[in-house]
Amino acid sequence: MNSRIRKLTAALLALYLVVFVALNTIQVARKEALDANPFNNRQTIRDFNRLRGPIVTADGVVIAQSVATPEGSEFDYQREYPLAEIFSNVTGYYTYSFGSTQLERMHNDVLMGDTAAQKVASVFGGGDNTGSVVVTLRADLQQVAADALGEREGSVVVMDPATGAILAMVSFPRFNANQVADHDTEAAENVLAFYNSLDSKPLLANAYQERYMPGSAFKVITTGIAFENGVTSLDRDWPDEKEWLPPQTIDPITNYGGSTCGGSMTEVFYRSCNIPFAQMAVELGPERMVAGVRAWGIGEELPIDLPAPAASNFEYSGSEPIDFAQNLPLLAIGGFGQANDTMVPLHMCMVAATVANGGRMMAPYVLDSTVEHNGRILHRTQPSTWKTPISPTTAATISDLMVEVVNRGTGKPMQLNNGVQAAAKTGTAQLNAAGEPQRSHAWIIGFAPAEAPRYAIAVVLKGTNDEISAGTGGRLAGPIAKTILDYLFSTEN
Amino acid sequence: MNSPLAAARRNGELGLVVMAAGITGAAFVLASLGKNSEMPATVVPFLVALLGMLVAAHVATRYFARGADGTLLPLAALLHGIGYVMIARLSDRRAALQTTWSLIAIVAFVLTLILIQRPPDLARYKWTFLFIGAGSLMLPLVPGIGSSVGGARIWVSIGRINIQPGEFAKIGLALFFAAYLADNRELIAAGTRRIGPMRIPELRYVLPITLAWGFAVAVMVVEKDLGSALLFFTLFTVMMWVATERAIYLLVGMVLFAVAAITAHRMFEVVQTRVAIWRDPWSQYEGKGYQPAQAMFAFANGGTGGTGLGMGSPNKIPAASTDYIFAAIGEELGLVGAGAILIAFVLIIGAGLRVAIRADRTFEKLLATGLTTILGMQAFIITAGVLRVIPLTGITLPFVSYGGSSLLSNYIILALLLRISDSSAKRLGELPDELSLGERWETYQLRRAAKKAARA
Repeated sequence: MNSRIRKLTAALLALYLVVFVALNTIQVARKEALDANPFNNRQTIRDFNRLRGPIVTADGVVIAQSVATPEGSEFDYQREYPLAEIFSNVTGYYTYSFGSTQLERMHNDVLMGDTAAQKVASVFGGGDNTGSVVVTLRADLQQVAADALGEREGSVVVMDPATGAILAMVSFPRFNANQVADHDTEAAENVLAFYNSLDSKPLLANAYQERYMPGSAFKVITTGIAFENGVTSLDRDWPDEKEWLPPQTIDPITNYGGSTCGGSMTEVFYRSCNIPFAQMAVELGPERMVAGVRAWGIGEELPIDLPAPAASNFEYSGSEPIDFAQNLPLLAIGGFGQANDTMVPLHMCMVAATVANGGRMMAPYVLDSTVEHNGRILHRTQPSTWKTPISPTTAATISDLMVEVVNRGTGKPMQLNNGVQAAAKTGTAQLNAAGEPQRSHAWIIGFAPAEAPRYAIAVVLKGTNDEISAGTGGRLAGPIAKTILDYLFSTEN
Repeated sequence: MNSPLAAARRNGELGLVVMAAGITGAAFVLASLGKNSEMPATVVPFLVALLGMLVAAHVATRYFARGADGTLLPLAALLHGIGYVMIARLSDRRAALQTTWSLIAIVAFVLTLILIQRPPDLARYKWTFLFIGAGSLMLPLVPGIGSSVGGARIWVSIGRINIQPGEFAKIGLALFFAAYLADNRELIAAGTRRIGPMRIPELRYVLPITLAWGFAVAVMVVEKDLGSALLFFTLFTVMMWVATERAIYLLVGMVLFAVAAITAHRMFEVVQTRVAIWRDPWSQYEGKGYQPAQAMFAFANGGTGGTGLGMGSPNKIPAASTDYIFAAIGEELGLVGAGAILIAFVLIIGAGLRVAIRADRTFEKLLATGLTTILGMQAFIITAGVLRVIPLTGITLPFVSYGGSSLLSNYIILALLLRISDSSAKRLGELPDELSLGERWETYQLRRAAKKAARA
């Protein structure tokens, strides 16, 4: 019997060996896959009991932080957003039940201290190894921009034209991350459901995730393409015309409000006549026009370092590509920013910045740097050129045209204090079909100081009602841009 | 009186029990410091009581099983201690109850050592044990006192006390199998009838044991307690094989098992569900698959070193302190801790089967084999089930899981193994064979009678 008992011992050992192998497989080999399983929220639970680093603005204001909860709370820390009213679209939220968004999501590892560098450092340094995220946005400027916009639906973007660093980016309506990060899951769920029910999409950062018809502000782009292709020059004169019949149609193109408009290149630009730009687009023809708008980045998702950026549009009607050769009137109308043109507000700011930056369009970014707990920089964003749609000469020419817009044309509301020279282009995108009540988006894009630009700006007010009607973009959007730029220069030494 | 070998075994045992108690105490402190733990300071007296009981169990072996193996009790104490800390960490209410069950179990351990001093005495009561085993198996089927939990009708409720009689049936059946096979193994092995190349034993020799086993399995299947059915199946097959030394019984056992498994899968929805969630717990995550999925997450969360006691989320597993306690340990103590549990069971198997090999009498050999198989297979069935090596069948992890019946029966098994070990030591002359309590009592009676007779 003893030999059988020994065999039994071996058999039982073999069974335990199988169990031990299975244990290893699950706890070691499959650990990462199981940790990442969508049903698995153990990691989240653990994270919610760990300290998480702050998100800080360029001027040192904390806009997201973890605060210890009272004894006996469900989790040890509560994420708080001190300036949630104006920064939620940038910070996003970090929640137990609804995941995380925006910077909170993109830089989760740094904030939790989970990057390889931080883990190595914590072995030697010990203790708290959470990192912080520093953004290029300024809290003061963000507040000024939000106040200037007020409770009108729209977006404001301010950036450094030389680097692409975004200094302020605000939209209305927006949401409050504190309400979503509430540990009372039911309350948070109700808030999210409410935000989601609104047509104005407050959870989206409209400034870079939505696009609107640009109207005449688009003429900067058309002018750039026309100059680059030699279709127009500063010497060209445009006849005074009330209407112009493009090929392939019997429906004439008119100027804004049916006015008669014409003159020198400078004049038609600052008076924002429509017909010359329609003619430029047709003279360029479908191929050169499409290649031109693509050179400006239209049709591509904006290369911003935040999730899910939108792409501007010129070539598509819905999801169908437009055959411009068979539809030259649409090309003509597209030349002055109507028809199917839609532009992301951030992209329009980049357009102004391109003119300000000698023709180079910088990739926009909000992340200045990620910093270790001990202050060592983990990563700092290096500015990079995204597109070069126009030459420095063309840029200088358009800059001069845009100065005239402020001094003599539709951009007068953006004339700045203390003699600072601004350059701008306005836009009023008519949304209503003939016979409907007037509805327009009001735009202004520009930069200052014109001679050595330090700030580029884009403001759009959505045409949600008939408030923006007879007025052109300059009258409504201009004062917002002026307020912000005046503030910027008044705070400089 | 003096036996250096026995003294060394007992002193070694004391050292190891103290070590197990030390580990338990340290684990307890760590667990109470953990953030997610629900363990208040009020549990401390219960812990002290538990550690006292473990030492008391050792003291009992000093008096009543001096020559017994010195590793079995410390291994059980370690498992018991770690299990206790985990139960306390999961639910302070259950910690208090488990302390009570522990007390009852240790008392039963000591009583077993005291009452059964000569293992062969047990063999005399084999039919009684069969009756007790079979009877307790049927108890849950009695209307009024039997009750179902989680689809298995294995509970008996009398007043506020709930017991699982199946846990005791396994001891009764092991005793019966060992005794019956010790008496008849040669007759069964010889196989006087021939059918073709096969020799089969006289029906009358195999009938009682086959009936007993068939009855046990049938009852377990009716109660839908498939884990226990598998356990009885293995117990019977292994004991037949070891006793007869004929591999045909292994083969027959496996064929019967395959037939039973396929039949059970065809007939019982509960088996189909179990197999389905074994193969893919994710598709039924909102339902029956939730628990196995959470167990997988728990193991993964633990990784190699574990989250640390009181730092994981084992409470997300519904049956964390009973069937799934191995996953809770895997989460908070990691591969290292869960591996230690497995190693402890491997050592128990080694020590238990060594007791069987050292035993001289066939009955003791078979009984030690059977009891060790119960412990080893039960731990295998539940750990392999939790790890999804095999479909899960809910039984407790011996000494570790929460539950009075399980703790009580496993400590009785432990006492029986120690008793057999002690008896072998005496037979091998490792320590003098002194009179047992009962024998001393009889001697005393005889002397008195003799004196009386002399006076008269």
